[in-house]
Amino acid sequence: MTNSLIKLVGAAAIALSSGGVASAQDANLLDTIKERDSLLCTGHNGSYLGFAEVDAEGAWQGFDIEFCKALATAILGSPDKLQVIPVSFAQRFPALQSGDVDVIIKVTGWTQSRDTDLGLQFSRPYFIGPFYTMAKTELGAQSIADLDGGVFCVNAGTTVERVLADYMEVNDVSYEPLAFEKGEELRAAFYNGRCDAIAGFGPFLSATRVNAPDPEAFTILGDVMKLEPEGIVVRQGQDDFLDVINWMVSALLMAEEAGITQANVDDMKANPPSPTIERLLGVSPGVGERMGLSDDWAYNVIKTVGNYGEIYDRTIGDGSRYKLPRGLNNLWNNGGILYPLVLD
Amino acid sequence: MHTILASRRFRRAAIQAAFVGFILLVLVGLVVTTQQNIVAQGIATGFGFLERTTGWPINFSVIEVSARSTYARIILAGLLNTMLVGFLTLFFASVLGIILALLRVSRNTLLRLVGTTYVEVFRNIPVVLQVFFWYAVLTHLPGPKEAHSLAGVAMLSNRGIVLPSFTFVENGLVYLALGVVAAGLWLWFTRNRISRAVRLGVGLGGVAALFVGLVVLGYEPGAPILSLPYLKGLRIAGGVTLKPEMTALVIGLVLFGAAYIGEIIRGGLIAVDRGKLEAGRALGLSSFQINRLILVPLALRASLPSLTNQYVWLMKATTVGLAVGYPDYFAVISTSINQSGQTLELLALLMGGFIVLNYSIAFVMNAINDRIKIKGRS
Amino acid sequence: MSYALNNPQEASGFVATLRKHFFATKFDAVMSLAFGALVIWAIVSILDWAVFDAVFRLENRDQCTYDAGACWAVIESRGRLIMFGLYPYAEQWRSTLACLVIIATMMLSCVPLFWSIRRLPILWVGGFATFVLLMRGGFWNMPLVTSEQWGGLALTLFIFSAVFVIGMPLAVLFALARRSDLPVIAKTFGLIIDFVRSLPLLTILFAAAVVVPLIAPEALQGNKLMRVVVAFAVFFAAYQAEIIRAGLQSTSAGQEEAAVALGMPYWSLVVDILLPQAFRNTLPSTINQAVITFKETSIVTFVGFFELMASGNAAIGTGEWGNQYVEVYVFLALVYFLFVFGLSRYGAWLETRMRLGHG
Repeated sequence: MTNSLIKLVGAAAIALSSGGVASAQDANLLDTIKERDSLLCTGHNGSYLGFAEVDAEGAWQGFDIEFCKALATAILGSPDKLQVIPVSFAQRFPALQSGDVDVIIKVTGWTQSRDTDLGLQFSRPYFIGPFYTMAKTELGAQSIADLDGGVFCVNAGTTVERVLADYMEVNDVSYEPLAFEKGEELRAAFYNGRCDAIAGFGPFLSATRVNAPDPEAFTILGDVMKLEPEGIVVRQGQDDFLDVINWMVSALLMAEEAGITQANVDDMKANPPSPTIERLLGVSPGVGERMGLSDDWAYNVIKTVGNYGEIYDRTIGDGSRYKLPRGLNNLWNNGGILYPLVLD
Repeated sequence: MHTILASRRFRRAAIQAAFVGFILLVLVGLVVTTQQNIVAQGIATGFGFLERTTGWPINFSVIEVSARSTYARIILAGLLNTMLVGFLTLFFASVLGIILALLRVSRNTLLRLVGTTYVEVFRNIPVVLQVFFWYAVLTHLPGPKEAHSLAGVAMLSNRGIVLPSFTFVENGLVYLALGVVAAGLWLWFTRNRISRAVRLGVGLGGVAALFVGLVVLGYEPGAPILSLPYLKGLRIAGGVTLKPEMTALVIGLVLFGAAYIGEIIRGGLIAVDRGKLEAGRALGLSSFQINRLILVPLALRASLPSLTNQYVWLMKATTVGLAVGYPDYFAVISTSINQSGQTLELLALLMGGFIVLNYSIAFVMNAINDRIKIKGRS
Repeated sequence: MSYALNNPQEASGFVATLRKHFFATKFDAVMSLAFGALVIWAIVSILDWAVFDAVFRLENRDQCTYDAGACWAVIESRGRLIMFGLYPYAEQWRSTLACLVIIATMMLSCVPLFWSIRRLPILWVGGFATFVLLMRGGFWNMPLVTSEQWGGLALTLFIFSAVFVIGMPLAVLFALARRSDLPVIAKTFGLIIDFVRSLPLLTILFAAAVVVPLIAPEALQGNKLMRVVVAFAVFFAAYQAEIIRAGLQSTSAGQEEAAVALGMPYWSLVVDILLPQAFRNTLPSTINQAVITFKETSIVTFVGFFELMASGNAAIGTGEWGNQYVEVYVFLALVYFLFVFGLSRYGAWLETRMRLGHG
């Protein structure tokens, strides 16, 4: 009697729950996004300078936000279909697992435990981030070893915490770590001199420096602690969605390689210089359809956000106040290590 | 008659059975859903990760931790950090609270005004904001090189307050804290049984002996027994540092908590029956004696239940340490979740830790309440 | 009041008053002088900083230096970000209006005229619905603004009022269930209430934001704001339930027995007799709980919402205004203070009123 009752309860519970589990790990997220007609992409809990920041009018901007816009345009045809969900570094993976966001575009390093234990899937790197250390100029440090015994501030819940611990142990430098959940607190602590140095992602450090009350007071040291490839992250099993992301990144790079810009994309579409460009811009049909997109998806993306180089310039490069050199994040033929895939 | 009774009893049983069934259904449903979600998303489960090393260190801990420590150890360190801040807060907030209560019931209008202003200001601003504020103030102090030196024994800079310290054996502070707790228990349980001199002698002597023992065991030839802070290169060496994170958190919580505790104790003071005080006066007791023997004990008795709640509340409020980068239990668990991905397991640990902590406080406070309340009355 | 006994003969005149209030004993005199100096010093330094040495206008920004007074220009420059967070710039008038509606609702519900078990819920549900419609939009000329973009004071007020609207009925349910004469139900709810009460709010919000999606079926999840608000409401209810239970216990048992003897149905007994009295008896505690809840809305900043606290932090997050943290925090403190102090004064007024027997 009790036994059968338990079975009954169990069966009812399964019936009750199995109806609903689906969406968070829906086999085809792409369809869900189209049905919802909006893309849920990560922002930041505050401002992560250069990548996801809030301006005085409360609008999102930055390198990662541009990629969110590009993705929304590729799938839904318009950047207005993008919904930016504010989320901290520490809460980005739970947010993805819970379906609060569809995708994480938040300079996320590709690590093994994230790939396996966390059940995530990474796109090909869309950005290569070297980890540097920025110190107060007045300390006169030339390298990290000169900061022996100093206080190092980091973002909590990022790969930096581990990279720093590794680097310091290998190089036998003693230090005191101080981790912050929010970028604002981290920066304030550094500007005030609570820490001697910030360890982190190079571009973020440059942005922090430019934003400082007196940029000259801070110096980025030459030692590269580690090079981290940053990927766009989706839940495991979202193969179709990941395809779209990989090809979107590739299309942005291909556009730069071929000299297609936001300004000339209409001309290029009218007179494609090569069959590949013809395919890329959807003049000859088929390239969008195989991924479940419209054929002119890449055209829309470039029209909206420009090519990879334009995005870079506008948000963190020469066109922005951060003036970051392209460095490794340039095309292979310009001294960088980025390259488009083959579009056939 | 019998049938009505039976049917009423049956109805009650049926309702309760249905309720239990519903709860069971919900619980089983949750478990099943969780399992499906975890399998579908390929998330690892189990407590095995506790044995793995974290790869990241934390900024402050009363026990030794490093990037090579296991998750279990770093989580324990977080729990101890929470307890440290919690107990410091409870202690100082109570002291300040008593002072505030006395100000608030003072006959002096100015003192009353100061007390009232304090309570209204500090009680009506969110504690998170206050902690943010104090942290900003502390980190805007000058750097180590320009540190304010207080008579050469303490130094004040944006790296924290450095006080002179004794060199203990490893984890010496933990042993000392345990010793103090043991002495406190000894004093408590032996009261009214043996003479005061013996009790105090054994209690304080024990703590002193432990202290000396820890210093002797920790002594390293060449190092000074009392370590004073001094500037060494970029930083201040020697002594013991109260870091700005912890200091700001404790200051914020104390100033906020004291406003509430003060009000609770004031309530207790007011609740004391005036007749009892007059009786004391009639017996020829001095006003100091009246305060010590009648007013304060009765006021404490009246305010203990509310104080218990406030203490539990303050202990929970330590979680705002996250705001200033203090590695408390919540912050450590939050980082662990991010680094290991074991959300459910870590959350269970988080909740379990707080429940144990808060029930312990409530248990101790209720025990005290039971001991001191007037027998035969509630 | 309680000291009147100590001073049977009252002297009059200015000097006598002064002496009585400030210099009654030697100890009093010393304390008065010490505290007097302290108070004067505090007032002078605060005024110096906040008014006399302060920079008020954005165009005088370059006068803002470390050793000058407050730089209120930061509020002029970043004020809208602080007050509205991520809400679309062009639509911020809606956010303002919505705030006014909900503030009016709060004030109206403080008027005794509305204190009936039917009027109060209608008022709140109405005010709350207007607020949400205004904020969300999506009809007439008002574009849709989803809750991810809500921020600043409006989000703080939304969370506060939503917690109240959802939490109050839940609290009544919890309180009645805990008092139930069916032991299983009473025990279960007792367990739930004690469990929730022994956890920090942050843990509960964190669980709602992060863990609920893993353990609950999709249909029950809603969006993150909804989950967090419901979790907050449960937390509120666990505390408020105990307050209501105390109120229920304070009604005399005779009334309950009389009602049962008259054959009154259970719900009528609860709604018409027990609850009104319970609410009335516990009004001060309820207000106090509201005060605590308002302050605790600042905790949601940790689960990634741009409410008042987080918007304030975002405002000083750029290097441009990074040094004006004190000004922004003081501004935030004033905003919170305005609401919380108003509420707690109201609570104190109610308490006096009830003690005088008008309640």
